[in-house]
Amino acid sequence: MTRGTGPTPKISLRNVGKQFTVRPSKDQPEGTTLTALEGITLDVAAGEFITLVGPSGSGKTTLLDLLAGLTGPDTGQVLVDGKEVTGPGRDRAVVFQQYALFPWRTAAANVAFGLEGPGSDGRRLGRKERADKARHYLELVGLSGFEDRYPHELSGGMKQRVAIARSLAYEPDVLLMDEPFAALDAQTREQLQEELLRIWRSTGKTIIFITHGIDEAVYLGQRVAVLSSRPGRLKQIVDIDLGERSGDGDIRSDAVFVEHRHKVWSLLHDEVRKAQEAGHAKIRPDGSAPDEAPQLSQGRAA
Amino acid sequence: MTAPTLTKDAAASAAPVADADVGRTAQPAATRHLSSLVRPGVRRVGRVIWASGAIVLFLLLWELGPTYLASASTRVFLPPLHEVLRALGSLIAKGQLQNHLAASVTRSASGFGIAVVAAVALGLLVAWYRSLDRFLNPLLEVFRNTAALALLPVFTLLLGIGETSKISIVAYAAFFPVLLNTIAGVRTVDPLLIRAARSLGLSNFRLFQKVILPSAVPTIFTGIRMAGTSSILVLIAAEMVGAKAGLGYLIVNAQSSFLIPDMYAGILTVSLLGLLVNYLLVAVERRFSRWRTAVGSQSN
Ligand SMILES: Nc1ncnc2c1ncn2[C@@H]1O[C@H](COP(=O)(O)OP(=O)(O)OP(=O)(O)O)[C@@H](O)[C@H]1O
Ligand SMILES: [Mg+2]
Repeated sequence: MTRGTGPTPKISLRNVGKQFTVRPSKDQPEGTTLTALEGITLDVAAGEFITLVGPSGSGKTTLLDLLAGLTGPDTGQVLVDGKEVTGPGRDRAVVFQQYALFPWRTAAANVAFGLEGPGSDGRRLGRKERADKARHYLELVGLSGFEDRYPHELSGGMKQRVAIARSLAYEPDVLLMDEPFAALDAQTREQLQEELLRIWRSTGKTIIFITHGIDEAVYLGQRVAVLSSRPGRLKQIVDIDLGERSGDGDIRSDAVFVEHRHKVWSLLHDEVRKAQEAGHAKIRPDGSAPDEAPQLSQGRAA
Repeated sequence: MTAPTLTKDAAASAAPVADADVGRTAQPAATRHLSSLVRPGVRRVGRVIWASGAIVLFLLLWELGPTYLASASTRVFLPPLHEVLRALGSLIAKGQLQNHLAASVTRSASGFGIAVVAAVALGLLVAWYRSLDRFLNPLLEVFRNTAALALLPVFTLLLGIGETSKISIVAYAAFFPVLLNTIAGVRTVDPLLIRAARSLGLSNFRLFQKVILPSAVPTIFTGIRMAGTSSILVLIAAEMVGAKAGLGYLIVNAQSSFLIPDMYAGILTVSLLGLLVNYLLVAVERRFSRWRTAVGSQSN
């Protein structure tokens, strides 16, 4: 692989591992440790669009949290622009599966949320500037005219657009997306995939995109990273080359696409089977941090 | 006691819409003619009449009952409405009622205000610092379950029968609903929103100000509304026990001076004050939780 050997990669994971202590439960009176990620080494070039697939519980969200700086690794290093990640930063933005919009704020106010503190240059934006930016980014995601709507007045697809606009608004270099389209219907999903590609091309962001959908992974990513079942290791990286995508034909039925798709599918299929045999049910379907004991046990029961 | 008010109001505001729909779509031919005559405006008037029916009946019973149904001795203790209203009028004319009302409102407002400020502040701290919660919670549980009125003698002994003891007992009674709701409000903030805000690089302070507080506000206001009701209740009781002014004093004093209509005038004022306070607090609460209530009650 030639990628990452040239200039400093935008993102660099070096032998990253992450463990969780599982709190004592009825069946396991003394707490155990659970290895969520192990020996992940991966470079992502600036401006690259990489997708990440893996069976449920393979540590995808954990990896994203590490990149976002919401948690720290137990072993190895997470580097962004060659500097170790110590916490959340304005150079990275996260888009969550469940939108995570602030229900008491209008769409525009949600988008402006990240603009309210001092910016990366230490300057504060005025109210007018923030509103202009919010309007601009809402327009970018196709939501002009919805500035004053509250989240409960928007459809799922619209909410996710607002969330994407919010992440873009404070102009991060890296977009971290955790199954952002999983809760949407097929049509809306395709439409948003299209728009995400358009935004990516026009803004040149580095995007790390987690998904359960093999189609989605192959369609969006320049590379697809496949994680193994727990503990999550990097099983393989599949380079995707679909040629020029400008044509409006159905790229998904293209022979090249089908071939890539099959490759990722077989890699993933093994892992999903292994995960099932090991009895790893999907513990937290929402992918949020299971800080609460009841949440954990609920997930187990389900 | 106050919670039903909210739901009732919501139902009342939603109902006319539903009715109008029914009238337009699913009415038999015979009654359609009639319904075109009965305009929505007329309907609304009818609805208002129906809604106030029970009150009107009650007032009628109050007016006529003592005169026609009660014995002469009972009539003395239960004067008809017009006598009570006359007494109310003369209390207002002499400026007495205003004085008592002002005394009561000042006391409950001060106590209530102190309680809200203190309880919100403490609630935020307790919800934020788990160790403080573990430390204080047992004590708070004990106090919370001690009825405020049971402590009235203690307050009177320690603080006398002046303003301080009354304001303190009101503050005490109003403190706990606000405290508990503040804690609950902060605790139930969606963890996902916290993650989102953290990922946007918010400091602890900003996180508190921009995410935790706004999302807890509706719950806090529910507590404030409950506190408003109980602060009046406790104050009236406290004024009945020992005071030289206030609505509670007016009621007890009128009773012992055998000015029975004055006593009822005082009682009437208390209920009107309670209604007004509750109405205002419900309005404020609704104003602050628009984004939340809108989800459930208005989606049709
Ligand atoms: N805070 C935590 N405490 C304990 N265990 C955790 C914690 N967070 C994650 N885990 C565990 O780490 C493993 C990986 O979780 P993670 O959420 O990263 O999986 P995922 O690949 O995102 O799964 P999904 O596709 O279902 O979202 C899971 O087994 C999970 O139970
Ligand atoms: Mg996940």
